[in-house]
Amino acid sequence: MTGAPDIAALRAKLAGGDGPRFWRSLDAVADSPEFRAYLAAEFPSASRLAAAPERRGFLKLMAASFALGGLTACGGGGGRDHEVPYVNQPERIVPGTDLSYASSAVFDGFGNGILVTTRNGRPLKIEGNPQHPWSRGGTDVLAQASVLGLYDPFRSQAVQHLGRPSSWAAFRADLQGQMPGWRANRGEGLALLTGPVTSPGVAAQIARLRTAYPALRWYAGAGASRDGIYEGARRAYGRVLETHPDFSRARTIVALDGDFLDLGPGQVGLSRRWIEARRAAYAEGRLLTLHAAAPTPTLTSAKADHGIVVPAGRLEALARDLLSLAAGGAAPGGDDPVSRWARDAGTALNQARGAGIVTAGLSAGPELHELVHRLNGALGNTGATVIHTAPTEETGAGTLADLAEAMDHGAVKVLVVLGANPVYEAPGALDFAARMKRVPLKIHAGLYYDETGAHADWHLPAAHPLESWGDVRSLDGTVGLIQPTVAPLYNGRTLAEMLAFLAGGEGGESGQDALGLLKAQWRNEAEDDTAFETRFSQALRLGFWADSARPAETVALTQAAAAVPAAAPSSATAANGVEVVFRPDSTIWDGTHADLAWLQELPKPLTKVVWENVVAVSPGLAERAGIATGDILRVEAEGRTVEGPAWILPGQADDTVTLTLGYGRDVPDHLARGLGYASAPLRPPGSPWRLADARLTKTGERRMPVTTQHLGTMEGQDLVRVQPVGAPPVGDPKGAPTPASFYPPPESQDRWVAAQWGMAIDLDACIGCNACVTACQAENNIPVVGREEVEKGRWMGWLRVDRYYAGDLDAPSTHFQPVPCMHCEQAPCELGCPVEATLHDSEGLNLQVYNRCVGTRTCQSYCPYKVRRFNYLDYTGGMTPVEQQQRNPEVTVRSRGVMEKCTYCIQRITAARITSAKDAHAPIPDGTVETACQGACPTRAITFGNVADPGSQVSAARRDPREYALLGHLNTRPRTTYLAELAPAADSNGREG
Amino acid sequence: MAQLFTPGADALYRLALMTGVACLVGLPVLAAGIVRSNYVTGVGIAPAQPLPFSHKHHSGELGIQCRYCHTTVDREATAGIPPTHTCMTCHSQIWTGSDMLKPVRDSYAQDKPLEWVRLNKLPQYVYYNHSVHVTKGIGCSTCHGDVTSMQMTYRANAFEMQFCLDCHRAPEKYVRTPDQVWNMTWAPPADQATLGPKLVAQYHIRGGERLTECGICHR
Repeated sequence: MTGAPDIAALRAKLAGGDGPRFWRSLDAVADSPEFRAYLAAEFPSASRLAAAPERRGFLKLMAASFALGGLTACGGGGGRDHEVPYVNQPERIVPGTDLSYASSAVFDGFGNGILVTTRNGRPLKIEGNPQHPWSRGGTDVLAQASVLGLYDPFRSQAVQHLGRPSSWAAFRADLQGQMPGWRANRGEGLALLTGPVTSPGVAAQIARLRTAYPALRWYAGAGASRDGIYEGARRAYGRVLETHPDFSRARTIVALDGDFLDLGPGQVGLSRRWIEARRAAYAEGRLLTLHAAAPTPTLTSAKADHGIVVPAGRLEALARDLLSLAAGGAAPGGDDPVSRWARDAGTALNQARGAGIVTAGLSAGPELHELVHRLNGALGNTGATVIHTAPTEETGAGTLADLAEAMDHGAVKVLVVLGANPVYEAPGALDFAARMKRVPLKIHAGLYYDETGAHADWHLPAAHPLESWGDVRSLDGTVGLIQPTVAPLYNGRTLAEMLAFLAGGEGGESGQDALGLLKAQWRNEAEDDTAFETRFSQALRLGFWADSARPAETVALTQAAAAVPAAAPSSATAANGVEVVFRPDSTIWDGTHADLAWLQELPKPLTKVVWENVVAVSPGLAERAGIATGDILRVEAEGRTVEGPAWILPGQADDTVTLTLGYGRDVPDHLARGLGYASAPLRPPGSPWRLADARLTKTGERRMPVTTQHLGTMEGQDLVRVQPVGAPPVGDPKGAPTPASFYPPPESQDRWVAAQWGMAIDLDACIGCNACVTACQAENNIPVVGREEVEKGRWMGWLRVDRYYAGDLDAPSTHFQPVPCMHCEQAPCELGCPVEATLHDSEGLNLQVYNRCVGTRTCQSYCPYKVRRFNYLDYTGGMTPVEQQQRNPEVTVRSRGVMEKCTYCIQRITAARITSAKDAHAPIPDGTVETACQGACPTRAITFGNVADPGSQVSAARRDPREYALLGHLNTRPRTTYLAELAPAADSNGREG
Repeated sequence: MAQLFTPGADALYRLALMTGVACLVGLPVLAAGIVRSNYVTGVGIAPAQPLPFSHKHHSGELGIQCRYCHTTVDREATAGIPPTHTCMTCHSQIWTGSDMLKPVRDSYAQDKPLEWVRLNKLPQYVYYNHSVHVTKGIGCSTCHGDVTSMQMTYRANAFEMQFCLDCHRAPEKYVRTPDQVWNMTWAPPADQATLGPKLVAQYHIRGGERLTECGICHR
């Protein structure tokens, strides 16, 4: 676990076939005595105490435990509560009953359709909106966690002037005094900075503002801006366009640093379209193959059927090779893996002309995007499988660099920053904070009093999307409506309201203007009131304007610029010279959401690190430079440095270091303060995602990142199965007799008359995005325990997503496996409990009865799947009242000393059972009960239902030849089963198949 | 040497022993008694309310149906506490000047809710649904007692787990025909022994073991 691993030995072990076929971490491959000991200690934190040598100490501890144990029974309670009815009961609001509103989740300015479940006027849970044409019922981690963001006690709660509390009235008076002056000189010196804008309403207000002040300059900036994508399209087509892959018609996909499955504005919609196409292809007996080349592993490259590791600097050369292949040129020679991959991908694309997709991602440069457009054009994919539309983002804004330059010249007299955080996000070379000091009046509006707020004269609290009226476009252009589900908690205003005030000098005082602005935006001139109100309320009920997606446009490639001589692959040959690539963080994105504890404690999909970011290095680099995981590395370029703990990441390009955004925040009273490192200082303003040459040194210090990847290890078993297409099924044989059990059946079969609940998880569809984990946390009141507790192995998630590697250390294939409670029919945990706190009911649920549990933790050690979680401390106590508002009243908030685990969302089952019992005692229809994880999944990987009903979807999934039980040979008869991941039949890349 | 102990010491010693034994037995009994006493459970104690609302008058004497105020009792988990508006449907017409009703009028005029003292409360790990009980023939009075005879409303039962289990183990003893659900003075009819099982079958109540499974009430 410590010290530099012997990478060469690991490599030999894996190559020689002595190592495990699927592995989770380098430590597991090394299988060192320290790692064995770590695993053997069921409760790593308790093992220290148990090892205490002296009898006296032990007895003292036990006595104290007994004495204090009694105290846990002394809860609050007592006293009489009050019942407070309404004076006038609003229509449709029934206390204690759910009410759902269609709205939109906002991701970096882009929308996804959601349904917000509210109860007693409080938003509690986000579900996907199945009717939304873009997101189709899926959600991502940010949408799931946005409900926590609403109740975040660290949110900005008041107007501040020069760091002191002030009021909206004072702000309005101050600005109204200055506005005549602005108007007189046509807004000279006014600068507006926003995040990415897709909202037609906000765009209209910006246009109005520019009419009022013609000389005003508008800039847009974000930590993860899409400028490269748009610039690439402009170079290829002469104008800015949005590019959409149409997977449904595709027969092969090639991703060059692609990110269509990764967290981002497109994840929900794109991953759904991808899996639907992949499922349709599988139904026809073929595989919708994904070829992926990436410098650093991503979720997209993890799901690749043919993956290859390529340094960022070589991607363009690779694209040129593919382009020459598409034009009938010779295949690249050479027997290195990259050339082989290029030949395979090129052949596949040539065979599927007009039915292939080449795609590049957010972090690919404009040059690569341009090449990808030309490649799609040459292959006849453009217009067939690759569709172009007008850009979803509003164009016409300047960049952060433009703004920094204008500020440097003293050309900016008033800077209005709405919903952006340039002081934190801007590349270090722009020196934004210092240049901002040259601006006489700085106004900042945001959800948080952040770095920029601290540098501004006026800070204004913005309204959260869950308390706002507004509109926002999804990636395909569909206009989603945002409607408030609660009155603004802290008197915040929406962006549109603030812009309207700036333009007109009035309004924006009541917080009630946003609805008026929204209606004015969408009302046709010719329309009468009634017609509009009908149309508007229909759209509100849907959550979006129907048929508002952008129409496809025909495009023509421009003449290619004189072929730039293929830039020599950046030779990072200087001693310790490395190439640095930057990526948005896979849970907190660009840091906008850094304050959400759910996201901080959400294990990053590939590293499983929590509460910080790491400096990812390749095993090869670690070997050469003697780097061990946890060594603090210094990355240095142009006099700026970043320091962070090393993480040896299999599948990382050699000599490439990955830094992520979003950490290293420096705002007092901020949850994220002091976590991780900020990578923005190193980002070159011209190429925000890649730094060709940097120096990497070891500082000599060490700090182990906290990870959950060793927790819940199920050692060396046949956990992940891969089904090559066309090969004999790898699933468990169907119809085999159930092995006899030593124990009597928990129920006599004749009692099994009710629904029998079961779950099937399709590993081919799981992209490891973690939406299920966050949804489970929101639904089931799962506490956040903090970095130190996770380090002790006390992570509380009921559902974890295991990540396995297979094959080569330097370029492994990656597999994800979500593991909830298996609800075993022969549950080992139930045998261990001395007080029957865990037992079965007649619907096959493995129940956990909190009020019986005495906390022996025997069940946890008996569970072969390691899915039980113990409340070592009072994790739920001491929450601020505003945070308590988020808790789901249908689920018990667990206190100290009890075991908990996945319940299959028993509260949802109960609600469905009660409804069916009250109706006609009819069986619960298939699909009525949707677990939280199932509902959140963008790729519909999870199926849940009645396994006793042969017609149910889950029964159909269980009949699939790919279906297998985890650790089935233990005869636990789990109700949760898996469908093996698909793989190509003949494996040309030497991957495990 | 004189006797160390007087003859009476023996008696004292025996008394002390007996007191000890009595305490050993008596203290737990006393503690159990206190926990179950009305003082702790609140059973039978009518707390002071913002105004002396009488179920006896409204429901018993005037015969206003339970659902006139508790509108969601047969549809939702909670029965519903009536909004001030419900009171004012009548009291904007009758007893408009009554001093006793001043808090109601004030609440309505000032848009300030009445704050009633809560009578019935279950522990947070118990999940109860009114609608399924009411639609399955369990009457109000089974849990809430004869509310129509309560001048000031009080808690009729302590709602300990034993109380719930009595019925969950043997629903046939308590189940009523649908027309009797709202009858506050219901007593098991003479033929409950034959009628009960019939009703249980008719309502599709899966009694006995199923209703006593932990997951029915705890989650």
